[in-house]
Amino acid sequence: MAYVAIADRDHHLHDPQTWITKYVWSQDHKVIAIQYGSVAIAVGLVALVLSLFMRLQIGFPGTFAFITPYNYYQFVTMHGMIMVIYLLTALFLGGFGNYLIPLMVGARDMVFPYMNMLSFWVYLVSVIVLMTSFFVPGGPTGAGWTLYPPQTVLPGTPGYNWGILLMLLSLAIFIVAFTMGGLNYVTTVLQARCRGMTMMRLPLSVWGIFVATILGLLAFPALLVAAIMMLLDRLIGTSFFMPALLSLGEINKTDGGSPILFQHLFWFFGHPEVYIVALPAFGIVSDLLSTHARKNIFGYRMMVWAIVAIGALSFVVWAHHMYVSGMNPYFGFFFATTTLIIAIPTAIKVYNWVLTLWQGNIQINTPNLFAIGFIFTFVHGGLTGLFLGNVTVDLPLSDTYFVIGHFHMVMGVSPVMVLFGAIYHWFPKITGKMPNEVLGRVHFWMTFLGTYAIYLPMHYLGILGLPRRYYAYGNTALLTPSAQAVNEAITIAAIVVATAQVIFLINVFYSVRKGKPAPHNPWGATTLEWQTPEIVPKHGNWGPKLPVVYRWAYDYSVPGEELDFVPQNVPPKGNTSLG
Amino acid sequence: MFAAMTIAMLAAIAVWWVLIQRLKDKPWLTQGVIPTSQEGITSSAPKVGLWVFLAVVTSLFGLFSSAYVMRMRGHGGLESWQRLDEPSILWVNTLVLVLASGALQIARNRIDKDQLEYGRAHFLAAGVLTVLFLVGQVLAWRLANPNGTLGASSPAYSLFVLVTAAHGLHLVGGLFVLGRTASHLFGNIGKAGVVTRSRLRLSVQLCTTYWHWLLLIWLGLFALLLST
Repeated sequence: MAYVAIADRDHHLHDPQTWITKYVWSQDHKVIAIQYGSVAIAVGLVALVLSLFMRLQIGFPGTFAFITPYNYYQFVTMHGMIMVIYLLTALFLGGFGNYLIPLMVGARDMVFPYMNMLSFWVYLVSVIVLMTSFFVPGGPTGAGWTLYPPQTVLPGTPGYNWGILLMLLSLAIFIVAFTMGGLNYVTTVLQARCRGMTMMRLPLSVWGIFVATILGLLAFPALLVAAIMMLLDRLIGTSFFMPALLSLGEINKTDGGSPILFQHLFWFFGHPEVYIVALPAFGIVSDLLSTHARKNIFGYRMMVWAIVAIGALSFVVWAHHMYVSGMNPYFGFFFATTTLIIAIPTAIKVYNWVLTLWQGNIQINTPNLFAIGFIFTFVHGGLTGLFLGNVTVDLPLSDTYFVIGHFHMVMGVSPVMVLFGAIYHWFPKITGKMPNEVLGRVHFWMTFLGTYAIYLPMHYLGILGLPRRYYAYGNTALLTPSAQAVNEAITIAAIVVATAQVIFLINVFYSVRKGKPAPHNPWGATTLEWQTPEIVPKHGNWGPKLPVVYRWAYDYSVPGEELDFVPQNVPPKGNTSLG
Repeated sequence: MFAAMTIAMLAAIAVWWVLIQRLKDKPWLTQGVIPTSQEGITSSAPKVGLWVFLAVVTSLFGLFSSAYVMRMRGHGGLESWQRLDEPSILWVNTLVLVLASGALQIARNRIDKDQLEYGRAHFLAAGVLTVLFLVGQVLAWRLANPNGTLGASSPAYSLFVLVTAAHGLHLVGGLFVLGRTASHLFGNIGKAGVVTRSRLRLSVQLCTTYWHWLLLIWLGLFALLLST
């Protein structure tokens, strides 16, 4: 059977006919990616502002009248949920997944473009539903981003009336959107690769996004089940999660429900979610480091295996988030062991990134600075994860600022470093303009040093015993006077980091309007997305003919070659049909 | 447990798939056009898309089943858990769904052989049987608890309604696609020629796969309900 790529069959390219179909109801993966990215960044900025409010309260308690205890818990909850789900998941998979997969595998579009378009619009609905909760009576839920029952659905918790309903509804809608997008990403990678693009020639960005999507497709149903059951507990008084208890002096009608069941369901989703965010970051950073160090990725095959292994293992570590729930010690031992095992493939990746840089022709530019910065923050966050993965160490540190410092380093700062690196790297491809290098470097150093100034001291505060989620600490005996001073410093650092993001936005808007026109392949990259006929690919990506792939994605500095990179679609010298 | 088994099964399939994709390749050593996997795969993208979706559906029901068992055995669960006496109509419903699945399989076989008349009748029968199954499930809700109230006093009944409703909703979604396919099947497909006919075959195949899988999921859920 002659091979015909899916996207070329029947010449059905759903060409946009009007401005609306081109830019609004678009089925073009690139437009959908930008739509996803724009909404995710916009909602992420809301979450950033919320985190500043929290820090203002912790650093300067009582100074700002509008930050009440009630609001404080709402800020905490919405900040966490928005950042994890609506920013990071949406931007990595909906944004970069959409933009990169078809271009990197040599396809004209996703295999189900209409469903892809629906995915974005349903995602937008989920964001609107979530944002609506700021304007309903009682405001958004303040139950904490983990939404633990019974407190989440009890009177007295902020947003008890409407906020929690809108949160659960929004999550359910988001999962529908993600499923539609995820089906596309997986099927496109499996079915729409161009001629010569075997799975083992895929760039690691695609591998990371691909495996992360599979994780999401299998893990998000756990959150959906938990959300549906909690909605029923809240709305019609079932007792799935609600035990018999006294609430506000009255005996509740609920009986026999298991709050721990919710925790299991939540973390069965929640831990893979860490890797849903991390794996695309791992893949993308591998490509950034290789491209900007002008050197092939070290241990490509091992990197692929590590991504697959981490993905599989991420389903058997969830209860390390629940050591203090009173679980059987043998379970604790099991989950501590699996947590340590998952560190092995993760460590392999870190070594391989460092060895990729080793003796490379390292280019000091903004994307690479962010990529290298990621190695630092990820090693830091990963190592503290080993502390918390051990039951005996976790117990005293649980619910302290040590945990906040750890997870912000590992799944907050680290993926965000990669996101920024990726945005600077693919900015010329998306816009046709080069980003401003000076502003980019200022953005990097303020963000990199600033986030260290925020999260490193948090580990110290955690070891002191400073508990998380508290609105104010007052004169707590266990805290030294320096703790408050540290908190003030952290808040100032947070303001600096937030300011750096304004510089980033200025850079984006300025460069889109007045940036230098980008050359065709500004970084000298080998991957297919840089080999399109136009720098900003048109609808259908490839002109009349799809590319043919002859080599892997990492032919950098190959001896005997004229240039220090050989794109994937360049035939080998002398023979074009070795296969 | 169910979820763990489901995930283990899916992980095993994924690993197997990865292995056959020649993860042992050393891509840095090979240049030139290597035959891609697509050349060896006869199934089309919609089929792969459907199987990926079915993996998601399986994960969902695996987790519902886990929640069912954990709620039953969970903290304070046993004393508040009142065993549900499954109404015998569920056996009839199961038989109806088996017949629906069987009818769809016959329809598929006939349509594959271009015996459209015969295929249409079975396709229609599958749709009617599925609607009957859904009506039967609603009847089962009434028979299991004449008051029909969901709430704290009846966790087993609440979970029974929840999982059967979730399964039923998936069938309702399937019925929309079935209806759309039926509109093509009963329309004048002669005009559109071979391409339309092959697409029609594909649609019927996808519907059949989906029905078989939802039947398997129902059998799993029914076994769970009977065993608790």
